[in-house]
Amino acid sequence: MNTGALSHLRVVEVGSGVIAAYTAKLLGDLGADVVKVESPQGDLTREVGPFPGGRVDREASGLFLYLNTNKRGIVLDLDSPADRAALAKLLDRADLLIHDVAPAKLPGYGLSPDVVLHDRRRLVATSITPFGLSGPHRDYSAYDLNLWNAGGLACLNGGGPGTDDLPPLRTFGHQAAFQAGLNAAVASLGAIFARESTGRGQHVEVSAQECLVTILELTYPFWPYCQLTASRLGNKPIQPLDFFECKDGWVFLCVVEERQWQTFVEVMGSPEWAALDIFSDRLQRGANWDALKPMIAEWMAEQTVKEIYHYLQSRRVPIAPVSTMGSLLSSKHLNARGFFVSFTLPGVAPLRAPGAPYLFSRTPWELRRPAPRLGEHTEEVMAEVAAAARGAER
Amino acid sequence: MSGKPLSGIRVADFTWVWAGPFCTLQLAHLGAEVIRVETRERPCVTRLLPPFADFQPGLNRSGYFNQYNQGKRSLTLNLKHPRGLEVARRLISTSDVVAENFANGVIDRMGLGYPEVRRLKPDAIMLSISGYGRSGPDQDFVSYGPATVPLAGFSSVTGYKGGPPMHVGVSYGDPTAGLHGALAVLAALCHRQRTGEGQFIDVSLWEASASLLPEALFEYQMNGAPPPRDGNRHPQMAPHGVFRSAGQDRWVSIAVGTDAEWLALCSVMRAADLAADPRFATPAERKRNEDALDERVTRWTTTLSAEEATERLQAAGVAAFPTMTNQDLAEDPHLNARGFFVDLPHPEVGARHHAGIPWTLSANPCAVAAPAPCLGEHNRQVLGEVLGYSEAEIEALSSEGALG
Repeated sequence: MNTGALSHLRVVEVGSGVIAAYTAKLLGDLGADVVKVESPQGDLTREVGPFPGGRVDREASGLFLYLNTNKRGIVLDLDSPADRAALAKLLDRADLLIHDVAPAKLPGYGLSPDVVLHDRRRLVATSITPFGLSGPHRDYSAYDLNLWNAGGLACLNGGGPGTDDLPPLRTFGHQAAFQAGLNAAVASLGAIFARESTGRGQHVEVSAQECLVTILELTYPFWPYCQLTASRLGNKPIQPLDFFECKDGWVFLCVVEERQWQTFVEVMGSPEWAALDIFSDRLQRGANWDALKPMIAEWMAEQTVKEIYHYLQSRRVPIAPVSTMGSLLSSKHLNARGFFVSFTLPGVAPLRAPGAPYLFSRTPWELRRPAPRLGEHTEEVMAEVAAAARGAER
Repeated sequence: MSGKPLSGIRVADFTWVWAGPFCTLQLAHLGAEVIRVETRERPCVTRLLPPFADFQPGLNRSGYFNQYNQGKRSLTLNLKHPRGLEVARRLISTSDVVAENFANGVIDRMGLGYPEVRRLKPDAIMLSISGYGRSGPDQDFVSYGPATVPLAGFSSVTGYKGGPPMHVGVSYGDPTAGLHGALAVLAALCHRQRTGEGQFIDVSLWEASASLLPEALFEYQMNGAPPPRDGNRHPQMAPHGVFRSAGQDRWVSIAVGTDAEWLALCSVMRAADLAADPRFATPAERKRNEDALDERVTRWTTTLSAEEATERLQAAGVAAFPTMTNQDLAEDPHLNARGFFVDLPHPEVGARHHAGIPWTLSANPCAVAAPAPCLGEHNRQVLGEVLGYSEAEIEALSSEGALG
C-alpha cells in the first residue's frame, strides 16, 4: 500500500533529460502516481549511462534507472496529432504536469501555459527551462556544464593560489539539473497546496539559471555589498579548511574554532611550529597557509583515514573523510539508517542506489517500482484514460 | 483569491547558519510567516560573516544573512531563561511547522524536542536538519557544511585530471539539504491538509547530498571503478569544457552533444577543415581526440570575449555560456529583465541587489515581502500580535532578560 505523503497526486512528466525527470522522481518517491511520457526514441538519459561494461543499452543506463523510479512509462510521439490528443486526455485527469519543453516548441506541442490550462481549472503546469520562458536568453540552450557556469557556481571552484592557468571547474554529474529539479518540486507542491483552498491550478515557471544563483552563499552579495568580485583564485581567509592526503586516502579538515585548533595541535603532539606567531589565529593561519599546510600535510601523511577521522571526531575536531563510492556503499552509518535501496538489472549483480533523502515518521519515502522499460505501460495507461473518459461520458 | 500558497502557515524557525535558514527561505518565498528565533548571546553565524555593507561590520549589515533571510521576522529569546523558553513554547503551540538544525541533542536538552512539540501542537510538522541525521552510529559527529561535500562523495570525483580531490560550491551540502527539507515540509503539509496529521522529518546533509551522485555510485558498481577526476570533461561529449576567452581570467563554457551541434560549432569557428577532419567525424572520434580538439577550440575562444563567443554559438544552436562572476550576474541583462533581483530598502544597508525567487506562480504570485530582519526587529510585534502578550508582560520579559 502506498503510504507516501503525495499518494493522492497524479503527475504527468513530459521531458527528456535530467531536470523534469528528477522533479517527477522526487514527487513519485513521495507517493505520487507519475506517468512519464517518452518519445519513440526514448529519453535522452537512456543513452547517457553509466552502463554495465560501458556498452550503451537503453534499458540499462544507471542515470535513467535512478531518475525514473516510481514511474510508469508510456511512449507518445508529440509530433503526431493523435498522440497529442492522447496526451491531452491524460492531462485532463492529471493534477500536475511537469515539462522541460523549450519555449519555441511549446505551441506545437499544445503545451503553452494558456492552452494547457484552458479548460483544466485544477491543473498545475510546471515548466522548467535553462533560462526561463522570458527574457533575452529564453531560447538559449544549455547542458549541465553551461548552466553551472551561467549560474555562477563554476566560477567558485578549481584554481587556488598560483593556478591562474586552470579553468573554473565543474562538479561531477548533473548538479545544475538536480538543483533546478529540487526547486521545481518545491514550487510545484506550493501550487498544489494552494489549490486545496483556491480550487484552481496555475502555471509554474522555473529558471534553472536562477535556481543556481540562489545557492552562491556569501559570494554573490560581495558585489552588491562591497563591489568586490568573488574569485576562485587566491587564499581562503580562514584555515585549515583543506584537503590532506593520508596513507590510504584523503581527509578534509574544517578546523575553524580556536578550541578545535588547540585540540588538533595537541593531537599532532604540540609541534614547536604550531606556537609560531604567524599561526596564532584562524586569520593568520589563512594568510600564512602556504607555510602551514606543508607542516600539517607531513603529519597527516602518516595517518590512516578511518583512524584519524574517528579519533579527531571523538575529540570534537571537525574532520571528514573524502568518501569514495566504495566507502559510501559500505558506510556503517548510512547502512544503519537504511539509506541505500537495491535495483536489479537482468545479467547484472544487484545495484545499490541512494534511497530516502529524508526520513518521515508517518509517510515514508518508498521505492514502489523500478524505472519503466521504454513504453512498458503505454497500453495500461491508455486503457485507464479510455475507461476514465467512458466514465465521464456516462 | 490570490494570496500566496502558504499564507496562514506559521513557521517557528529555530534554525541558524545556512542549511536551515535556506530551507525556511523557501517557505517564506511561498508566503509562510517565518519567525526566526535568535539569541543576542550567540547571533547567527551569518550575521557575523562578510560581506558587510561598505565594509562596515554590524549584526544587521551582512549580505550573507540579508540574502538568506529575506521576508522573515526576527524574535530574540534567551532559551536558557525559563521565561524565554516559555515564550518559545507558546510560539510552537501556535505554529504549523517547527524547524531546527542544531547539533545533535541540543533541541532535546532545551526541552523542545519532537515529543514536547507534539504535546504543544499535536499536528505540528517538525523538521530537523543535521550533518549526519538524528540516528545511526555517527549521529553525534561534529559537522560543518564544507566538510559534507567530501563526506558525501563529491570531492572524490571532482577535480582536475590527475589532481587532488576538489571542493564544490562553498558548502554545497547546506543548500542541498535545505531544499530537501523544504520539499519534505511541503509534502508533509499536503499530507496534513488531507489527514490532519503532523509528523517528524529527519534530513541529513550527507544523505541529501549523496542522493545527487547516482552516476558515480552506479559506475563504481557496474564497472568496478569510480569515474576518474577529469576536469570539465564529460564521459561521452566533446568538446565539453570551459575555455579561455579574451580578457583577464575570462572563460566560456561550450558543450557539444550531437553531430548537428558539432557542425554548427565548426561553422561558427569558420573551420571547414575541422568539420571535414576524420579525427572529429563522430562523437566517439571527437572524444578520442579531445586534447587536439580542445586546443583548437581554445585558439578560437581566446580571440573573442566570452559574451561574443556565447552570442555567436547560441545563434547557431550550440550550448555555450560565459563563466559568470557575482558581478556578471548582478549586472546581467537577462536576469534583470526577468525581475529576478530584489532590492527592498533595509533600514541599515539601504537597497541592495539580492537574488530573488527562481520561479513564478501565475495565480498566486510570490514576491519577497520584506528585507531580512534586523536582530530582534519583530520582538514587540510577534510577542504582542502573534502570541498575545500585553505591553506590561513584554516589559517584564525584557527586564527579566528573557528576550536575550
